[in-house]
Amino acid sequence: MAVLHAWRAARVTPLGELHSPPRVTAALLRLTVQVVLVASLWRGLYAATGTTGGLGRDQTVTYAVLAVLASRLRELDQYTGRDTVMQHMHYGTIVYWYLRPLPPQRYYALRSLGERLYGLAWALAGYAVCLPAGVVEPPGSAAVAGVFALSLLLGQWVLHYVMLVIDQLCFWTLRNGAALLILVFAQNLLSGVYAPLWFFPHWFVTMSGFLPFQATLSVPLSLYVGRIPLSEAGVQLAVQAAWVVALALFTRLLWRRAARRVISQGG
Amino acid sequence: MTRSGARPVAHHIEVRGLSRTFRTTVRRPGFGGALRSLVNPERVAKHAVSGITFDVAPGELLALLGPNGAGKSTTIKMLTGILTPTSGVARVAGVVPYEDRQRNARNIGAVFGQRTQLWWDLPVRESFSILRDIYEVPRAEHATRLKEFDDLLELSSFWDTRVRHLSLGQRVRCDLAAALLHDPQVVFLDEPTIGMDVVVKEQVREFLRHQVEERGRTVLLTTHDMTEVERLAERVVLINHGRLVLDGTLDEIRRTFGSTWQVRVTPADPHTEVAPLPGIALLRREGPQAVFGPEGPGAPTVHQALKQIVERYELTDLAIDEADLEDVMRAAYVQAGPGADEV
Repeated sequence: MAVLHAWRAARVTPLGELHSPPRVTAALLRLTVQVVLVASLWRGLYAATGTTGGLGRDQTVTYAVLAVLASRLRELDQYTGRDTVMQHMHYGTIVYWYLRPLPPQRYYALRSLGERLYGLAWALAGYAVCLPAGVVEPPGSAAVAGVFALSLLLGQWVLHYVMLVIDQLCFWTLRNGAALLILVFAQNLLSGVYAPLWFFPHWFVTMSGFLPFQATLSVPLSLYVGRIPLSEAGVQLAVQAAWVVALALFTRLLWRRAARRVISQGG
Repeated sequence: MTRSGARPVAHHIEVRGLSRTFRTTVRRPGFGGALRSLVNPERVAKHAVSGITFDVAPGELLALLGPNGAGKSTTIKMLTGILTPTSGVARVAGVVPYEDRQRNARNIGAVFGQRTQLWWDLPVRESFSILRDIYEVPRAEHATRLKEFDDLLELSSFWDTRVRHLSLGQRVRCDLAAALLHDPQVVFLDEPTIGMDVVVKEQVREFLRHQVEERGRTVLLTTHDMTEVERLAERVVLINHGRLVLDGTLDEIRRTFGSTWQVRVTPADPHTEVAPLPGIALLRREGPQAVFGPEGPGAPTVHQALKQIVERYELTDLAIDEADLEDVMRAAYVQAGPGADEV
């Protein structure tokens, strides 16, 4: 039974954030400080060197600043809003997800979509400031821009499923704090948020290719700065799409099993 | 046809031989025990609900009573579709809830104690709007219903406040409204007034009465508040240790378990020798007063006892202390059923 108007559930987290001006101010300050520091750091590091890991100074600064802006897509504060799956399990309010005509998996997906669109608005605003200021370089061509947009979309889709798997863990473990910390570290490291993946040893890059994290951010950013040429874009997009399909099937299975676990929590 | 388009049904809630068994791991005591449990866990079956059967008619408010751990919440979880029974069958507004959760969701509303379904960071009205969209309630209908709920629960003074800033009473009133915004035929309320002050409790009771009497909703209520039961429910189902102990009216419960009356009399002649009567014990003397109570399984009712006492003694004063519903329920909980089966 389709629920046509439920897409408005996508408003939940952005509305919560907009109703908390201190959180918006804090996010703005953090993003500004991070962009300034990251740009300064990489410019300083490149002062005494040329191309490293196949990336020049401007490419690296662009990569790093875009990674900071993209992190806003992931870091909305559900915890303060008591709206993480872990908190719903803890307080027993997860039952309400199963008492509505909108299935929990669809509600979760809509909520996630809203968060990412809101995060995208922040990232675009940051990009609109950084581009004319010369902090980031524009894409090499319209084709690069198009492929980057598609790759970023697929990357966020992969990230959505990775975060979902961590949240679904709560149906078995009740808490996912440790798993979440590991995930955030692994995602930052293996997707190139800390430093472009190209600076790591070859074996590390090869290993990370077997995990979904590289597909979330490193691939779209590498396409943007030209480290991955357009001729290889098709393969990279196909790998990202494969991760989307694999994780979609896996999380679908987990949702089915999770539905049987809801019942035991709380009197 | 009903509001959801389903065929009219004789009973809004039908429960037939409903059972639910949980398999749990027994944790052995001590460090060694914990290690043994890790390597060789001992699994036991716990029968939370065992073969209960009852019906609730459209427009009826039924109180589902029982001590903590009796199986009330498990029963409600099965009726709301969250939990699948081990055996037996349940139908709510003609739908088997655990087989068709989404269809069932449109027919029911639920409030689980202090667990809120509202979004913590949003003003209450935003939560109502999101629920309106999820349940696809037309805007005009939503506005009308919200107005009705505001008249009864006085929501408008705080519905622009974020949920995190509401008092418990305000939040539960909002949760009740949220549960009924989509006009469900059947409402499940699991201890909805727990922790609320008397004024708000009365407001909530009035709201529930209105929903049953004026709107014809079917309500299944669990509570430990006997005043609430007396004021709202004509019929109760009592379960204990997962088994149905009694299904009847409050009067029937009183007749079955409520024989704990006391009659306090003052004889006209203070030197009268007061003695027990058939089935009536002399409990104690308090100065010039004598206190009688029931004795044995064949004890008379309070009215029969009064007749005997008045016929036997000349009195200047007489008072009856009849057991209140809380005493009756205490007696029912103690007398009813064996311990939960563990196999």
